[in-house]
Formats: sequence, structure tokens, C-alpha cells
Amino acid sequence: MGELFPRGQVMGFIFSLVLTAVAMLVYFMDMSFTTGMTVLLVTAFIQAGLQLVVFMHAGETKDKYDIYANIVYGVLMALAVVFGTLLLMIWDVV
Amino acid sequence: MKIDQSLPLEYSTEENRLKIYGFWIFLGAEIMLFATLFASYFTLEGRTGNGPSGAEIFEITPVLIETLVLLTSSFTIGLAIHAMRLGRQKAVIAFFVITLLLGAGFLSVEIYEFIHYVHVGAGIQTSAFTAILLLTLGTHGAHVTIGFFWGLFIVMQIRKRGITPQTANKSFIFSLYWHFLDVVWIFIFSFIYLKGMM
Repeated sequence: MGELFPRGQVMGFIFSLVLTAVAMLVYFMDMSFTTGMTVLLVTAFIQAGLQLVVFMHAGETKDKYDIYANIVYGVLMALAVVFGTLLLMIWDVV
Repeated sequence: MKIDQSLPLEYSTEENRLKIYGFWIFLGAEIMLFATLFASYFTLEGRTGNGPSGAEIFEITPVLIETLVLLTSSFTIGLAIHAMRLGRQKAVIAFFVITLLLGAGFLSVEIYEFIHYVHVGAGIQTSAFTAILLLTLGTHGAHVTIGFFWGLFIVMQIRKRGITPQTANKSFIFSLYWHFLDVVWIFIFSFIYLKGMM
């Protein structure tokens, strides 16, 4: 039975629950917007990285550099779209 | 068909390896789909018109249940792939079934949540905010729904054909999809719900 629950994945799961609990603090505690957003950004991106490496086995084969390059490109584009939109439409910086 | 024994079954042929790589490229496109939805959400978040704001309609309990259910299902599909690599067919099927039940549980809570929103006057036509909110949540929910049926068909194939290079490859690709949906949910949970209720 034990061999069906590999240590790495169990630890990954527990860690993801801890990250969720930390993210929940922004709801239960009185935080400023900046502090709260910092907590959320940190927990969300660690959580995403955890899924990618522990559960999605991204670094397992010789395709790993192509896979990482593809994901990094996707994430950079996503950040450019989201923050570009925020700059133009919400923050009125440009 | 050349079979490489040094790699897990799902990578064992060139075709299988390329299918996994191709699916990662698809996930890159999916990241962009959700990025545009998030960009639109942040733009329209404040345009509530005569309708309610996020803080007025979001409820912590269903959101927390959805998060825990989806996180757990992401863990169990990971265990299914691990069991698959050990060649334990019964365990693979059991973990797949648990994952799909959790997926169905997630969808039930989300459907309840949508009905609740409509009841409190936050339908898709109420304001720019409710429209983009329901579109973003709905796009994720539609992905989970598709994943549910996709997983169901894969588990039926494993029962019928056993763990072969083909079914192993399909299961692995499905697990990538399912983990990806969990990642998207983490961002929805953090930057739509928790940010809205902060």
C-alpha cells in the first residue's frame, strides 16, 4: 500500500494545503491591499511551480528544456498581457 | 515501433513522446487563453453598474470547498500516474475514479455557486463585472466538465485494454490537463475570490 503513496507527492500535497492556508490569511486577517496582494502573488506562483515540477513531471525526459522554454514563454506572454492591460486600462500610467 | 525500455511506458515510443510534448504546447496556448480572461477581469472588475460587487456576492465556504476538492483531485491523479508506472492497474483505476468523483464534486459546488449568483441578482447580463466573472469561472468549469468525460473514457479504456503504451500515454496527458486546471483554479481562487473579499 505504501508504495502507492510516494513521499515526494504526499509532501507536495501537504505543502499545497499549507500554501492554501497561508493564502487564506488575507481573508481572515486585516491586511493592507499591498501586503495581501504580495502574499497572494507569492503563494499562487509557488503553488503553480509545485504542480509543474512535482506532479506534472516537467523535468523528466530529454524534452525538458523545450517544455520549460514553452512554459516560460507562455507565462511571460501571460504576464505581458495582464500587466500591459493593467498599465493601460486601470493604473493610467501610460 | 521502437520501444525504449529505459523510460516510463507513456514515453516508450517516439510518437508517445511527441504527443506529450505537443500537449505541453497546447497548455502554453491555454495559459494565454486564461491570461486574456484575467486581463479582461481586472479591467472590468470595478464596472459593477447597478449590480453587486465581488465582495457582496462571494462566499468563502463554497470557494474553500472547491479549492480543497480540486487540490485533492490533482494529488490523486498524480497518484494514479505513479501507480501506472508500477503497473498496478486496479490502483490506477481506483485513483482515476476518486479523481473523477472529486471533479464531479467540484462541478456540483460550482453549479450551486452559479445558481446562488443568479438568485442574488448577479446574472451574466447584470453588469460588465458579473459578465466577465461568470465567463472566466465558466471557461474553467467547462474545461473541468470536458476533463471529467475525457477521464471517464480513459478509465474505461484502461479497464478494457489494460495498461499499454497507448493507454499509459493517454492517462499521462490527461493528468497534465488535470494538474493544469488545478493551477488555473489557484489563480482564480487567489486573484478573483480572495482579492475580491480582501
